[in-house]
Amino acid sequence: MSWEAVARKDFRDAVRSRWLWVLSALSILVFAGAAVGRLYVGGGNQQEAAALLRGFLFYLKQGTAIIIPLTALVVTYAAITRERESGTIKLLLSLPHSRDDVVLGKFLGRSAVVTLPVLIGFVVALLALLPAASGLDIFVYVQFALLTALLGVVFVGIGVGVSAAANTNQQALVGAGGLFAVFWFLWNFFVTGVNRAATDLFGLSTPDQFRLRLALKILNPIQAYKTLVDSLFMSDLEARIRMFSMLFGMIPNQQAAQALGPELSPAFGDAVVLAAMLLWLVLPLAVGIVWFREAEL
Amino acid sequence: MAAIELDGVTKRFGDVTAVEELDLTVPEGEVFGFLGPNGAGKSTTINVLLDFVRPSAGRVEVLGMDPQADSVAVRERTGVLPEGFSTYDRLTGREHLEFAIESKDADADPDAVLDRVGLAGDGDRKAGGYSKGMAQRLALGMALVGDPDLLILDEPSSGLDPAGAKEMRDIVREEADRGATVFFSSHVLGQVEAVCDSVGILRDGELVARDSIEGLRETVGTGATLEITAEGVTDDDLGAVRELDGVDAASTDGATVTVQCDSEAKTAVIGALEDAGVAVEDFSTRESSLEDLFLAYTEGSAPDEAPDDATEVDA
Repeated sequence: MSWEAVARKDFRDAVRSRWLWVLSALSILVFAGAAVGRLYVGGGNQQEAAALLRGFLFYLKQGTAIIIPLTALVVTYAAITRERESGTIKLLLSLPHSRDDVVLGKFLGRSAVVTLPVLIGFVVALLALLPAASGLDIFVYVQFALLTALLGVVFVGIGVGVSAAANTNQQALVGAGGLFAVFWFLWNFFVTGVNRAATDLFGLSTPDQFRLRLALKILNPIQAYKTLVDSLFMSDLEARIRMFSMLFGMIPNQQAAQALGPELSPAFGDAVVLAAMLLWLVLPLAVGIVWFREAEL
Repeated sequence: MAAIELDGVTKRFGDVTAVEELDLTVPEGEVFGFLGPNGAGKSTTINVLLDFVRPSAGRVEVLGMDPQADSVAVRERTGVLPEGFSTYDRLTGREHLEFAIESKDADADPDAVLDRVGLAGDGDRKAGGYSKGMAQRLALGMALVGDPDLLILDEPSSGLDPAGAKEMRDIVREEADRGATVFFSSHVLGQVEAVCDSVGILRDGELVARDSIEGLRETVGTGATLEITAEGVTDDDLGAVRELDGVDAASTDGATVTVQCDSEAKTAVIGALEDAGVAVEDFSTRESSLEDLFLAYTEGSAPDEAPDDATEVDA
């Protein structure tokens, strides 16, 4: 398959950039740090140690939720525009690759670039953790690593999609930076605004308002990632309620608990949240592929 | 069957018309030289063949296929040395070739290709450290992988020294002997003359002439232009010169006489002028340039295809 050749070439090229190495080092530091911290402070007490691990991953998530999307976008926003600006795309498209295969190959190659450091860091941490770990810890750890890798892949899809749709590096930078700002800073304003408008129009009840806000929040891939990580440590309901809390979950939102409980609707279950993340994987790539088909090089 | 067929192809970028109503057929097995000054629309035409850009109007066929609908199929059988490309700086020369071999699903030996394009010994160096000429050789090597039926070479000699340009021409000949069609663009007359079976001359987006290489030679002679400085020459004085063997054309603006002729005819030309009573002050020869070629093709002796508006070309 043609995209395989493109992906392999792209990865081989990217591996030689210092990015991969910086990311790997950072990732090993963070993940292994979690493991070592657990061993050190946890001591012999299993229960205390487990609580510590959860606490650590719980706050680690705040870091990965910003670092992983940011690095994925930095690694990918110029994936195609830089080839167009430098002229390597002419060498690439002189060979029998379709434009779709170029975008898909880029997506796969860069996905490897972003997820490999996460997984390496995780494996190193796991090795450090093994002697004292319980089965539950390892299971939680594996899921956390996979979710974090998925978050990386989703933002690789967004970055490559933006790069395929843009005509210049600058356009791609503005597009990728804009999306990051939307997801990280502006999304909750958007949620509040839509909720207010809908309430004015349709006179939504308080529980309905919370459901609407939750649905919109889940549509943000970063918030979806965070609540999925929370679900590893608590019930789905608690994890969703946390999306409305203040100060990294330290001040719980009682209203949200009342509105969404006592049984969480299956419409807000983990599977749906995961599907929302995957939507962000597919949609920008599809838009990028279609736009790149029309591009003049 | 034609390897390349363009039918009324026009390409506009905004207000700028890069190529206008271009009709061109290149038969299979021919080495075709696509000649024209920089900015004439050669690369745009090639970009249309490769589906890098889409024509605003007209029909294009490459190897009997539509380059837009069957883009991959066209490029599976075509080797391309594109214009304005750059290499992947962090990959070695050999890795570039391995990528081309993998992409074309070919069964070639990267070292043999490196050797053929004169990069033996440089295969393990990163292409980022290559000179322009070496990058050009590498891209030619990538184009040759898989023995394509059609080679499209856009200004292949740029960045090459004369020896390199010669090696490049040798490769073009080998490929033609193998049966490949070669579409070769250049703004250097000598490059095209040395290797092509036929030529098309593009100027300001329009095809000024389409001729065999013999026809081209007849029109331009063997390529020398004699410039003679002499006061008060009139067109009448040139009659005898035009009668001489080996003279293709002669013209004057009153102060200079310009003669297209074989190098051997130079002395006879000067003799004929002096016999006609012209005081020759100085003279010099130069290789025929593209400008001379356009003049030759648009001064009446040219083939019929020359469009009318091409006669507005200044001397």
